[in-house]
Amino acid sequence: TTMDVAAEDSDQMPSGFHAKAAAKAARLRREAAKLASASALESPGGIESRPGEWAPTQSKLLRRVAVAARPGHFELSLQYGPYSVAYDTTGRLLALCGRGGHVAAFEWRQKRLMFESQVNEPCHALTWVGAGSTPQLAVAHSNWTYIYDAQGLELHCLKRLHKANKLFWLPRHWLLAACTDTGHLHWQDVSTGQTVASYCGHHGPLRVSALHPDSGCVLTGQPNGQLCIWTPLEKRPVVKMLCCPAGVRAVATAPAGHAVYTLGGDSRLRVWDIRCLRPLSVSDSGADAASIRLFDAAPQLAVSQRGLLACPVRQGAALMVLPAGGAKPLLSHPSPGRLSDLAFCPWEDVLAFGHARGLGSVLVPGSGEPNPDGAVHPLSGKRQRREAEVRGLLDKLPPETIAPPAVGGGVNAVDAEGIEEALARKRAAVMALPSDEVRQFQPRRRSGKASGELNRKVGERWQRRRMELRQLLKSKKRVLAEMGDEGADAAGGRKTKKAKKVSQSGELTKPATGTFLDRLIPKAD
Amino acid sequence: CLFPVLIDQLNTHWPMKVKLLLRNPQDYLRETADDIHKLARNPAPELHPMSAETEYVRALNAAKLERMFAKPFLGCFGDQGDQLSRVCMHPRALSLCLSGCVDGRVAFWNIPRRSRVLQLDAHSGCVQGLCWHPEQDLFYSCCDTDRTLKAWRVGDDLTEFSRPVSQRHLDFAPLNLDHHVSKDLFALSGDAVYLYDSRRSDPVGQWKWGSDSVLQARFNPTEWHLLAAVTKDNALLLIDTRQREPLRRIRCEFRQNALCWNPQEPFVLATASDDYNLYSWDARRLASPACVYRGHTNAAMDVDFAPTGRELVSASYDCTVRLWESGRSQSRDVYHTKRMYRVFAARYSLDARFIVTASADFNLRLWKARASEKLGALTPRERAAVNTAEALKQKYAHHPQVRRIVQHRHLPKRLYQAQLEMKAIRGKQRRKEVNRREHRGEDKEPFVPERDRHVRGVDE
Repeated sequence: TTMDVAAEDSDQMPSGFHAKAAAKAARLRREAAKLASASALESPGGIESRPGEWAPTQSKLLRRVAVAARPGHFELSLQYGPYSVAYDTTGRLLALCGRGGHVAAFEWRQKRLMFESQVNEPCHALTWVGAGSTPQLAVAHSNWTYIYDAQGLELHCLKRLHKANKLFWLPRHWLLAACTDTGHLHWQDVSTGQTVASYCGHHGPLRVSALHPDSGCVLTGQPNGQLCIWTPLEKRPVVKMLCCPAGVRAVATAPAGHAVYTLGGDSRLRVWDIRCLRPLSVSDSGADAASIRLFDAAPQLAVSQRGLLACPVRQGAALMVLPAGGAKPLLSHPSPGRLSDLAFCPWEDVLAFGHARGLGSVLVPGSGEPNPDGAVHPLSGKRQRREAEVRGLLDKLPPETIAPPAVGGGVNAVDAEGIEEALARKRAAVMALPSDEVRQFQPRRRSGKASGELNRKVGERWQRRRMELRQLLKSKKRVLAEMGDEGADAAGGRKTKKAKKVSQSGELTKPATGTFLDRLIPKAD
Repeated sequence: CLFPVLIDQLNTHWPMKVKLLLRNPQDYLRETADDIHKLARNPAPELHPMSAETEYVRALNAAKLERMFAKPFLGCFGDQGDQLSRVCMHPRALSLCLSGCVDGRVAFWNIPRRSRVLQLDAHSGCVQGLCWHPEQDLFYSCCDTDRTLKAWRVGDDLTEFSRPVSQRHLDFAPLNLDHHVSKDLFALSGDAVYLYDSRRSDPVGQWKWGSDSVLQARFNPTEWHLLAAVTKDNALLLIDTRQREPLRRIRCEFRQNALCWNPQEPFVLATASDDYNLYSWDARRLASPACVYRGHTNAAMDVDFAPTGRELVSASYDCTVRLWESGRSQSRDVYHTKRMYRVFAARYSLDARFIVTASADFNLRLWKARASEKLGALTPRERAAVNTAEALKQKYAHHPQVRRIVQHRHLPKRLYQAQLEMKAIRGKQRRKEVNRREHRGEDKEPFVPERDRHVRGVDE
């Protein structure tokens, strides 16, 4: 991949040691990947078609797959307005909410309804919160955000999350994040109920937003073409990046990894690397692969675990799935109503879409990650999910860990600045010139019997000490001069006169006499 | 139209290959209720973002849990009725120990039950020395008031205790007693170091340097001819029993109250000093101590190495017991209770898991060497969890939040104030030195490392 190439680029390595370390890290990564693939239980899905063949329809796919795959393809005709859909992190549950007030959740494989209710308020966005053992649904109504449990009972009404148009769930931090029409951002801790951050971004209504799951940052697209990255600890965007010449119409991130997809007002899809804030090539072919033109694309994007991208085309009359790094559609599907939301099912080759007349689900071979880790997958049992929930609560990360990778830091980052400062301080301490106070110190004059003799002795002693200090000062200044600018910096910014030119033979003119600074004088070779 | 037919023919002759991800539930669910749950594993780093942060949080939680489970005090052995002066662990049996009292009683304890097996009125004065024979079921006690050394036999039938097996009258007041690791020799310290053979009535050897009494003499567990002794005139002696005069004398600034050889490293010994420090010495290079253990706020009365040779325990006049890692000058842990008064003796158990302390409040106490250790059998999962937690704490030990929790120990107000006072005293001394160095010059006030500040001289 392009990022590995950057890491292995030896021109960027400060030294041979770093190059070797990077090469070793890359080799270990490759070996780990090989080991993982060798022991992998499942292999990813895919479509092998003849060149020139059209993208398959769902009926064609259904004819060629096992009967067990059929639950992934269904259509629901519902009447309560354009629908938003959300899968939970295990991929077992699917929830929907409509602008007409319809809220429902069901297990899509068995088609077992968990709950269905009419809340009599337009619902704009939803997300599953909590872990799989006690799933809860957060739904953004027109005014406030409500949290419902698995039976549809209203558990909480979050009045702070006012006019939220997008809700995000950060599983590792147990945070519910929201972007609102009023331009506010909220992060709410679901396990303790504490509001971690709630502020106005002062960047206008945040209508285009996405979550970067790997770091927990919220990305918003601005009408001036900027992509802003927000964290709970900063009240201003941590990063602002110009990503398209027109306004940003849609932002999407892959569930894992560093790719950020933006759809601009010029109908161009661009992919960015969030770690270095540079463009990634969108398609494998061609030099000019920085963006692909999506004709008549409506502003919704969804990315699957394996990098497949789904977007509505023909003003929402159909959806199209693009392969990872490709511009030629993998498959397309007509939508009975105008498309309003897309969501890939994690761990499965299934895509759910909500439209004005209900919702549907289609099979998309090759979209799901075949080998999950841990208990977060559709076939995990109740006890495993409970166990995983407890472990997730114990491993809850503090909100300080939410930071964009481009900004750097992190728990294991070397505090290079701190080390440099400490070294500079040490150098300055060694090279510190005797303070003026010491040099100008006058011993106090004593009075009384035998004070004359005492004063004389003390005076003499100080006179000798002043001579010594003067010598010390001279030798230090000479060493500073020889060290040049580096020495001046080390002594805390005191600039010396121009360094004396060392003689041609390389020998120094006058070596220091017996002070501890001798060791700093560069040896003549 | 012709086209549907053509398309159908194309499909049958060149079928499109479609593979859909379908999971077999049997691969993910356990077969019977007696099986363990199957766990899917994929080590790919894409599925594990923020793994460093998660690890850090686990290290923090491990540090916090360690502190929550840190309950080292196991119990009191029961009121002895008078101050306890000596504790002596049995050399082979894990659960037995002896204690010597100031009024001459010697008690024999069962450690796990914290119950007294037997009590003897051994002497008429303070029991100054207690030690076991390494192989036989025999122990010795000595007293300075009645100047006797008595040998007592232990048997299955406890009535054998009533009279000593043998009794020896000494012409000096013994202050301590130690038995050789394997030979039938023991060393008594009084006005000199006397080496006695159990079969002979007169001492086999005698060593002395100066005129002050010797407080304690200990045999080296590995070098059988080597003895170390601490004297009342602030000296540490090194004695070879094959020579007539002691090998070395190290003159320290303050009196060394107790000493202990490292059971695993034959050339290392530790002493507890009146200047609140412990010192560990390398017998090959006695010019300065190998390590200075600072932490006590009053005189260190006793020191003992763990059988592993990697840890030390010290008993102090400031009513605390401190545990140290060999070579690290900051204590690993500090034990204190409201009722524990001046601690005069501390000993490790043979398995290095427990500590027995004797204090001036008439009690022997039993403590855990590792405060948050679970006593009892650990299941393999528990053991793995404990080891993981330990490794995580070590990996993130330098992070300020983890370090803060791992290092912190609660101290009662008087001890805390004493500690602050020591810190202020030390800070003032250091500041004064720095000022002197700046004013008088580096040559007149050279920088002396900590290790070199405590020895007055070495005499040969």
